[in-house]
Amino acid sequence: MNGTRRTSPHPTAAAPAGLNRLTPADLPALAAGATLLGSGGGGDVALPARLLRHTLAAAPVPVVPAAALPEDALVVHAGEAGAPDVLSERLPCAEDFARAVRAVETATGRTADAVGIIEIGGLNALAPALAAAELGLPVLDGDLMGRALPRIDQTTLALDGHPACPFALTSPAGDTVLVPTCTPRAVAPLLHADIAALGGAAALALHPVTAGTLRTSGIPGSLTACVRLGERYLAARDAPPAELAARLGARLLCAGRIDELRPRHGAETGSVTLHDHRDGAVVRVDLLDELLAVTVDGETLAATPDIIVAVDAAGHAPLRCDQLRTGRTVLILHLPALHRWPPEAAHLVGPRAYGLTLTPATGKTPAPAGAAPERSST
Amino acid sequence: MLKLGIDVGGTNTDAVLIRDDQVLGATKASTTADVTGGIVTALRDLREKSGLEPAAIGAVMIGTTHFINALVEGGSLASTAAIRFGLPATRALPPFVDWPEPLRTAAGGHSYLCHGGHEYDGTQIGPFDEAEFRAVLDKAVQAGAESFALSSVFSPVNAEFETRAAQIIAEQLPGAPVSLSHEIGRMGLLGRENATLINAALRSLAEHVTAGLTRTVAEAGITAPVFLSQNDGTLMDIDYARRYPVATFASGPTNSMRGAAFLSRTRSCAVVDVGGTTTDVGILQNGFPREASTDVSVAGVQTNFRMPDVLSIGIGGGSHVAHTAGRTAVGPESVGYRLTERALVFGGDQLTATDIAVAAGRADIGDPARVAHLERSLVDAALAGIGERMAETVDRMRVSAEPVPVVAVGGGSILVPEDLPGASQVVRSEHHAVANAIGAAIAQAGGEVDRVFSIGPQQREAVLDEARQEAVDRAVAAGARPGTVEIVDIEEVPLAYLPGNAARVRAKAVGELSLGGDNDA
Repeated sequence: MNGTRRTSPHPTAAAPAGLNRLTPADLPALAAGATLLGSGGGGDVALPARLLRHTLAAAPVPVVPAAALPEDALVVHAGEAGAPDVLSERLPCAEDFARAVRAVETATGRTADAVGIIEIGGLNALAPALAAAELGLPVLDGDLMGRALPRIDQTTLALDGHPACPFALTSPAGDTVLVPTCTPRAVAPLLHADIAALGGAAALALHPVTAGTLRTSGIPGSLTACVRLGERYLAARDAPPAELAARLGARLLCAGRIDELRPRHGAETGSVTLHDHRDGAVVRVDLLDELLAVTVDGETLAATPDIIVAVDAAGHAPLRCDQLRTGRTVLILHLPALHRWPPEAAHLVGPRAYGLTLTPATGKTPAPAGAAPERSST
Repeated sequence: MLKLGIDVGGTNTDAVLIRDDQVLGATKASTTADVTGGIVTALRDLREKSGLEPAAIGAVMIGTTHFINALVEGGSLASTAAIRFGLPATRALPPFVDWPEPLRTAAGGHSYLCHGGHEYDGTQIGPFDEAEFRAVLDKAVQAGAESFALSSVFSPVNAEFETRAAQIIAEQLPGAPVSLSHEIGRMGLLGRENATLINAALRSLAEHVTAGLTRTVAEAGITAPVFLSQNDGTLMDIDYARRYPVATFASGPTNSMRGAAFLSRTRSCAVVDVGGTTTDVGILQNGFPREASTDVSVAGVQTNFRMPDVLSIGIGGGSHVAHTAGRTAVGPESVGYRLTERALVFGGDQLTATDIAVAAGRADIGDPARVAHLERSLVDAALAGIGERMAETVDRMRVSAEPVPVVAVGGGSILVPEDLPGASQVVRSEHHAVANAIGAAIAQAGGEVDRVFSIGPQQREAVLDEARQEAVDRAVAAGARPGTVEIVDIEEVPLAYLPGNAARVRAKAVGELSLGGDNDA
C-alpha cells in the first residue's frame, strides 16, 4: 500500500542474517533493546524476561520472518494491554496469552502459524515469545509499531486499514472477552472498558492477518533489530556519553540535571525541564506514557515517532517516564526509528497525536532524524 | 537528651555519646561473633574515657549489619514457608522463584499458593478459601516450617487475606512467627514477597539478637529504651525490630551518610566513605540519602527495598598498590581487615594505599620509617590516581553541575585529596571514623505511605493530603512527638497506560523521638 514504507532502511539489512531462534543467551540483549525502543514507556521488561528465562531454558523459541512464511500463513498478534504496574502485582502468565490467541483462532476458524509482535518497545517485545512457546509456534521477526506506542490504532496495519478484530482479551482469573467483529472506531473504547473490567491489565490477541499482508504492511526484522540494538548497548554501556551515543547510532541531545518535573494528568502531557551542563541550554522533554519530544532552547530537535531515551548519568541505565525525578542527572538520546512512517501517519504517531504543538528546528541546529533516519549501524 | 549511638559492623563496634549537637565521647571495639561482646567492650571504654553515667542516658540507638550478614552467609535461618494468595493469577512465578539454591535450601524453601488476592481497585480476585488455606498450613507444618511469610496480590491496597490468614495461624500455632508482606514491602509482588520471606527466615535469629542487645544494655546499668536503625534512617523500637529484622538491611550506608552530614553541619552533600577495600559515594539531599531508582538484589534475591543510591569503587585503605611498567595501579585487591599485619607501616610486606598516605605525610599511622624508601614519583602517581577516580565517581553521582561539599568519612578517608575536583570543599571531622554510630544516635521516628490512589476530578489535593496525614499518623505511631513531625518527601506517579487517574502516591514523614516527655528536656 505504501511504497516508501516497504523500502524503508532497515538496521539489520547489512547484518549477516536475522535471528532464527531465541535462546537464553539472547535474553539480556532482547530485554535491553526492548527497553530502549520503549522510548521511556512500554512497561518494565523485568517480569516477562524472568518468565522467558525459564521458558527459553526449557527450549529455544523459533523466529521466522514474514518473508519466509507461505503467503496465506496466519499470524496472530499478541501482547499485554493495560497498566504494567498491575502486572507487577498480578504477575503475567504465558497461558493467558495463549488463551487469547486461541480465542482469536476460534473466531477466524483457522489455526495460527506464528505469533506476531504488536510493539517491539517495552515488555510487549518479550510477551509474544511466551505465547509462542506455550502454543508451540514460532514468533515473527517483525512488529506493528517499531517502538512502544500507547494506542492500539497506532499500528502499520491500522494505518493501512486492516481490522484489529477478531480480538480477544484474557485475565489470569480465567475471564475471556472475544470481540468477533467491530468497527475501527469502537476498538479503543471496547479495549478500555474490557481492560478496566479485567483489573487494569489483560493479555491481548488481535490483528489475525496473513504473512502476505505483513510483507506489505508490517515492519520487518524488528525482533532481530531489537536484539542487535541491545547487544550494542550492553557492549557500550560503560563507555563515556558521546561514545555510548555513537555506538547506538544515536544523537546525544542533552546531558544534564532534571530541574523540574511536571507530571502528566490523564491524557494531558507532562514534561521535565533540564539544564544541559555542557552548554547551559534549557531542555524540555514532553512526555505522556513515553518520552515524546525534546526541545532545546525553544527548538524541537527530536519528536515521536522517533525514539527518545533517557539514561541515568551514573551507570547509563535507561529510565522510564515514571522513574524520572528532580535532581537526577540524565543523558537524553535520540535514536533513529526502526520504521519510517509515511507523512500521512503524522496525525497518528506524530506530536499532534498527543496534542503537542512544537517548534521545529531551524537550520542552525541539526534537523531531527525523524523524517529520514540515519543509520550508523553496520 | 543524652543519647548513646552504637554501630555493630562486621569488623568493628563503635559507640558514641551525644547531647544535642555535641559528640561527648566516641570509641571503637572489635565486633564479636555473639554481637554483644563488642558492645560490652565499647561501653566499658566509653565509661572510662568520658565518665559516662549509665543512668543519665535517655535513649540507646543501635545500627547493625548483623542480619544482612546472616542472610549473605546463609546461616541461622529459620525453616520458612511462603504462602501466597493470588491464584489463579501469579502461578507462573511461585514464591522463592529464582532464589539462589543454597539460600533457598537454607531458608526452608516451602512454597505454596492459595486462591484470592485483590485487584488494584481493592476488589477481590476471588474469595478467601479457608479450607484451602488450612490444608496448606497443615502441609507446611508437616514439611517442617517454623516461620510463615504471607503475601497477597495487591495487599498494599487491601490486606484482608494476609491478616485473616495470620489470625488462623495464631489460633492453630500460637506464638509461631508470622510475617505479612503489606507491613514489610511496597508495590511489586515478587520484591515485596522476597523481603517478607527474608524477614521470616531471620525471625529466630532476631529473637536471639534483640534479647541479647536488651540484656547487654541493661547489664551496663542503662535503663533507657533501646531502638534499632531502619533502612530509611528512622528508628524502630526493639520489639518492632524483633518482628521486622529485614528493616535493618540498608541501615549501615544510611547511618554512615547521615552521620557524616551531621558532623559536617550540611544537609545536602556528597559523602565519600573510604573503608578498607572500597570507597562508597552517596548523595544526601535534605538530610536523607538519595534512593536508588532500581530494585536491589540482596544475596542474589531481588527485593524492592529502596536502598541509598551508592556508587562503589575498589579503592580503600588496604588496597594493594602495584607499580609495573611505568604504571601505578591501586586496588581493587586489598588486604582488607589484615591491614595492621600486612601493610608496610605495620611491618608487613604489602604496599597499600595507607602506606602511600603515610609516605606522603598525610597520615601518621604505624612506623613512617618503613615507607621512607618509597620513591616520591610513585607516591605522587598513586595519590593522583586515587584522587582522579574519586573525583570521577563524585562527578557521576552529584545532582548538579555546581561543585558540591564533599564529606570524607571512614578509616581510609585520609586518601581523599584536599583539592578534589568538583568539590566546593572537602569536610572532615575528628569523629568521622564513627559516623555510623552518630547516624544511629541522631535518627528520628518516621512513617511512610506507598500505594495506589484513585484520583477523581478536583480531588488531587485531597488525595495528597490524605497520604500526608497517613504518613504523619504512622510516624506518630512509630514514636514521633506529634508537634515535630514534618513531611520530608511526597511523590505522585500516575500509572502508565491506564485510562482514568490512578496514581501511585508515596509520602514520608519524620519527627523527633518522643520518650514520654520524661527525658526530653
